[in-house]
Amino acid sequence: MKSSTPPHKSSILPPNKENWITKNPFEEFKTFTASTPGLPMDQIVQSTEAVMDRIRWGYEKLLEEEAKELVWMVQYNTIIKAYEVAEKYVKEINYTAEDIEDFCFALENTQRIPYLIPGPAGIYLSALCNYANEEEMVLKLSELKTEINLVGFRLPKGKRLIIEGDTGDFTGIGLEGGELVIDGNAKNWTGAGMRGGKILIKKNIGLHAGEWMMGGEIYVGGRVRGLGNIVEGKVYEREKLLYPGKVRYPNVYY
Amino acid sequence: MDEQNLQSIIEEIWPKLKKKHLYPEIPMPRVREIPEQEKGESEEDEDVGLEMKQKQLTINGAFVSQMKDKMPEKRVIEALLDHGITHYTFCPWDFHTHLRLYAAAKKVVGDKELAKQVSNHFIDVIADTHCVRKRFTEIPELHRNLKKGAIEEVIAFLYQKIWGMDLGIPPSKMGMKGRIDIVRRLARIPYLDRSRWGESIQKFARTLKPLLIEEQKEQGAQGGKGERNPQGEHDLNHYSSEEIDQGLRDYARQTMTLSEFKDVVEDFSDELSGAGYGMEGGMGRGQGNPVDADVLFYMKLAENYSIPIKKFPLEENGSLHPYSHCPWEIGAPFQDVDMWTSFGKIMPGITQIWTKREGKGRGKIEGTPDCLIVIDSSGSMINPRKSLSYAVLGAACATNAYLHNNSKVGVYNFSDAPMGGKEILNYTDRREEIYRALCKYFGGGTALDLEDLMPLIQGKKKLDLFIITDMKITNLEALIGFFGQIQNRVTAVHIGDNPYAARFEKAVERRKNISIYTVNRTEDIPHIVLGRIRDYFNPTHTKKS
Repeated sequence: MKSSTPPHKSSILPPNKENWITKNPFEEFKTFTASTPGLPMDQIVQSTEAVMDRIRWGYEKLLEEEAKELVWMVQYNTIIKAYEVAEKYVKEINYTAEDIEDFCFALENTQRIPYLIPGPAGIYLSALCNYANEEEMVLKLSELKTEINLVGFRLPKGKRLIIEGDTGDFTGIGLEGGELVIDGNAKNWTGAGMRGGKILIKKNIGLHAGEWMMGGEIYVGGRVRGLGNIVEGKVYEREKLLYPGKVRYPNVYY
Repeated sequence: MDEQNLQSIIEEIWPKLKKKHLYPEIPMPRVREIPEQEKGESEEDEDVGLEMKQKQLTINGAFVSQMKDKMPEKRVIEALLDHGITHYTFCPWDFHTHLRLYAAAKKVVGDKELAKQVSNHFIDVIADTHCVRKRFTEIPELHRNLKKGAIEEVIAFLYQKIWGMDLGIPPSKMGMKGRIDIVRRLARIPYLDRSRWGESIQKFARTLKPLLIEEQKEQGAQGGKGERNPQGEHDLNHYSSEEIDQGLRDYARQTMTLSEFKDVVEDFSDELSGAGYGMEGGMGRGQGNPVDADVLFYMKLAENYSIPIKKFPLEENGSLHPYSHCPWEIGAPFQDVDMWTSFGKIMPGITQIWTKREGKGRGKIEGTPDCLIVIDSSGSMINPRKSLSYAVLGAACATNAYLHNNSKVGVYNFSDAPMGGKEILNYTDRREEIYRALCKYFGGGTALDLEDLMPLIQGKKKLDLFIITDMKITNLEALIGFFGQIQNRVTAVHIGDNPYAARFEKAVERRKNISIYTVNRTEDIPHIVLGRIRDYFNPTHTKKS
């Protein structure tokens, strides 16, 4: 009962009780703490992160499966098998060209993706490009320090992939009618086993270009260091037809 | 509106702004006074609204007047101050962050000017976005009314996208040259995630690079300078000399790579010279020589380590007593700290130490002798001006330890000394001179000339010797013989195990005044050597011989 409070207790209270009401010393900041309106940026960043997490997860799964092979050899069966695994994970993700680009740069950031194995990374990247919603994609990779192998593997008809920067070995192998543009250099075995489509390389390419090529065209703006055993198709060097022709090693001297 | 009226506006809104930004320690902003003769002379005066020097924000009255048709003065001032305060309270926060962001941008764009532009834009985007997100601010309104160049338009369009506000940039304006593409990429960057600023600025730089190059070309063709940032330029003027010192120290420790540090410091050399670096006294104050980035690197890196020195009795005429206070700095000994006036805190700027003075009377007191540092810079040692030399770093740490104890340091830097490959520096407390002597590299054969050493040692009653070498010395026997004669405390550090080091160790093992430290892995020198030196100097861990 409130009235039963011992009289001596009330006697120690000051006449003005208001002074004894506990005040929050941070009262002044109250209005500011809650006022953090959401910006569209939060939504954009959040969805970007979610997509990147899924792409990364797919890559890690691919690595887990491929890690069984102690040495990852670029062989027909190995590539096909790895691509099938990559396809399985990639199909489930909804992403854009910018996400692929971010993934490429994340590959170089060891804190985010622990392993960059050029073979599987290239296969996974190709699967991402092949299953992207966009028909034409530009990947700005000129600042990438690593040259990724196997870019443009099995690029299907109706797709156009433009890479700004250099690519590694096996660029555009097994091309299936798409158009691959490399605004830079490519290394050895470019266009090997391609069945159709077009590869345009603004600068130079290495040895064994078009090895077991079954169709399609390779245009090189710079120099071709050496051709492979071409079955069918055309290879141009600076608008000059190299194959069909007699020259096997047009620029073997450098 | 005249300056007095603007000042009264500032005085009126400043308490509200301080409260809004949770009471930052920033002095009351001022209005820039324009001398009568300059008024109306240059249009450039109206371009920049805010100046930030150290922590003083200064509003440009001409800029505010020029904006008044579009926006009331009060709101312009509030927006400018919101922006300026956020630089101190969120991004870049300190000089170290500024340097890190600049270095990351430079890695992508490769050019000093472009890297500065990228880091400035990035810092502005973060500051403004943080402000819009966390505070009620007039910044969007200011952006709506600012005069914009090509890059500013792209950034304003980015703001439209990430803030969800109309800043008056129609999408049709962005259609040209793939600018929509650029904005789409820029919008994906997590600007407010401080832990990812390093990678974020690289992405920002990659995306903006073509546009910056295009603008640079256009400006080059017009023969003019670029437009100035209306929200204030970001240069070293933002920071006090103590903040610059701290920033360089942190950056040296974080990179541990001479080339990276040198690259960044050389890019800021003009500003650093303006801030007083390049002169004696801790790369001291005042206009002077160009900044020696190598020396600065070792100086700042060594400041991250401190070695306590065991003092020993020195003959003096009187005893010391506390006389006056002086500020404590990182690396200075703790034993003289006055806890009462330091409020119980060990923190530069707050902590104070007693300066002692010799009183009348007689007796022996403890002190620290001077030190002679003998450093090997022969071909088998790392060139300290090419990559991080742990020998120089170790010697630099020892230098700091002695200088902090008010002792002097002499340097004998040798390679093939009898043939002239040597540098001798007499005992001094001028830190930069000592560092310059330590950083000198000869890269030839390795021979000591004892005749050079004798005059440096003779006449000094108490003297410590610190020798750092790989021991591959041609006249090692002579050195062993010399060490056998002297009674001074000697700290010998040798790099790597080799027969010469073993021979030296064997020969002096009975000498109690000589302590030898081996470093098997070069990269461990700053840790292992310093740790072991600490063991040596600390009486509880004295090596038993």
